[in-house]
Amino acid sequence: MSVESVIVVGGGPAGFAVVQRLRRGFFDGTVTLIASEGVPYDRPPLSKEYLAGTTDVEAIRFEPAEWFAEHEVDLVTGDVSSVEPDTGEVRLADGPTLRADRVVFATGGAAALPPIPGVEQSHDAGTVLTLRSLDDADALRARLGPGRRLAVVGGGLIGAEVASTAAGTGTEVVLIDPVDPPLVAAVGPELARRLHDMHAAHGVEVRTAAVAQVEAGEEATGRALRIHLDDGSEVAADTALIGVGMVPRTALAVAAGLEVDGGIVVDETFRTSHQRIYAVGDVARLRTDDGELQPRAEHWEHAVLSGGAAGAALLAEAGPSAGPEPIESPWFWSDRHGVHLEAVGSMAAPGRTITREIDGAPAVAFRVDETSRVIGCAAIDASQAVRVARRLIARGTVVDADDLADPDVPLKQLMRRR
Amino acid sequence: MSEPIRVAAVEDIDEGEALLLQPEVTGASEPISVFHGEDGGFYALDDECTHETASLADGLVDGDTVECPKHSAAFCLKDGRALCLPATRDARTHRVEVRDGEIYLHPGVPAQA
Repeated sequence: MSVESVIVVGGGPAGFAVVQRLRRGFFDGTVTLIASEGVPYDRPPLSKEYLAGTTDVEAIRFEPAEWFAEHEVDLVTGDVSSVEPDTGEVRLADGPTLRADRVVFATGGAAALPPIPGVEQSHDAGTVLTLRSLDDADALRARLGPGRRLAVVGGGLIGAEVASTAAGTGTEVVLIDPVDPPLVAAVGPELARRLHDMHAAHGVEVRTAAVAQVEAGEEATGRALRIHLDDGSEVAADTALIGVGMVPRTALAVAAGLEVDGGIVVDETFRTSHQRIYAVGDVARLRTDDGELQPRAEHWEHAVLSGGAAGAALLAEAGPSAGPEPIESPWFWSDRHGVHLEAVGSMAAPGRTITREIDGAPAVAFRVDETSRVIGCAAIDASQAVRVARRLIARGTVVDADDLADPDVPLKQLMRRR
Repeated sequence: MSEPIRVAAVEDIDEGEALLLQPEVTGASEPISVFHGEDGGFYALDDECTHETASLADGLVDGDTVECPKHSAAFCLKDGRALCLPATRDARTHRVEVRDGEIYLHPGVPAQA
């Protein structure tokens, strides 16, 4: 069956990347993007520049609204209530039923709310928040500022970014995480320690404990929330921001009869168990060609690359093409307290870590396997190192540990050595 | 549009490196970076990434592309094309000429594709 029409469900970076890839690849069929929030925007700034108020919604859109018209992409603002894989019908919650030869699920995920007593009630009351969308960011921003007190639950990337941004607005911030330091698996212990210690240095109060219970606190504390920790202590706050991970939005896929196992199961071309349906981004879970289910990837880069790869696979179905593009090692960035963190590959895979110091502090950590090949890298304010490491990983270059550790050896030199 | 200006000798910019030129030097409205590509060519782009505030001169030159140091948006040095997200807008190019071992920049004159 030829492919003359594609509907993408979901307007995050993955959904946008599918549409962009199709049009860049000169797909001449119809393309429809259904997005509940309208014109697609980029999410990383929601915990940083947008939350701080230094950028606005127009600046974080991937493309202005006119782009979609110019590129003949039918942008539909709305929610999908069901998808029928055998016919390609996509039913809108309050609108017509559309149809396409291929449907791409880019439904992303929702912020997780941990099953802690009182969290759900306070979430309903608007004092416990999560951060995933523009509306979430607007709600959180309205509760920041001098005199306000914010508890951040979870010291991972989102939690640390929000803590940093909030502290920058003059908000009193308490960061709560049972693990000290968080992020070891992502960046290695050396950089994780340095990053976590930045919070206290920037006036954020750090508590190493788990939240046991959340209750309304007006009477006891004068603040909206009274948060009980498992070490017996309490935190009073006007607002709590929960950043403990996400839950993939798989309900539509389950109802459509697709194989779902902690995510919509896809093959290496991002096709689901039904040949008409693809899934990309946070909601997709890869089963490699050897049959092994991989953990879901939740970073921005995977969203964009998987969207692009599915777009390429659709182009290949529509006509002769170079085929899907390879997915590289996972890469992410984060910003906190004025520093820029990046990591690529795995810092937790078997091997050893070699750190490079800049100005007396560990700034770059390389993960190297037993064959002396780089398999992961994390860096604070040294993104060039990560750019180089990404290429060393892709090329399988054998490296010398002393060169990695020596700040006087230019990293680009390692990339160019054969 | 404007007279070419001599910006450096060929040996002043190593392959894979860039030279950042401020508007006071070029007379252009924005800083411009001259790159020595790994294909041996010299190219010039507006220095600021089209996605967010970041200097492409601090980016990684790979072949005939440069990758932004902040969010890894990549641009073709030859025609300024934005090659991947998060950038969606192309970078502005400026014509570069090499004559007798000297690099000349034509600020505001697009590179010939």
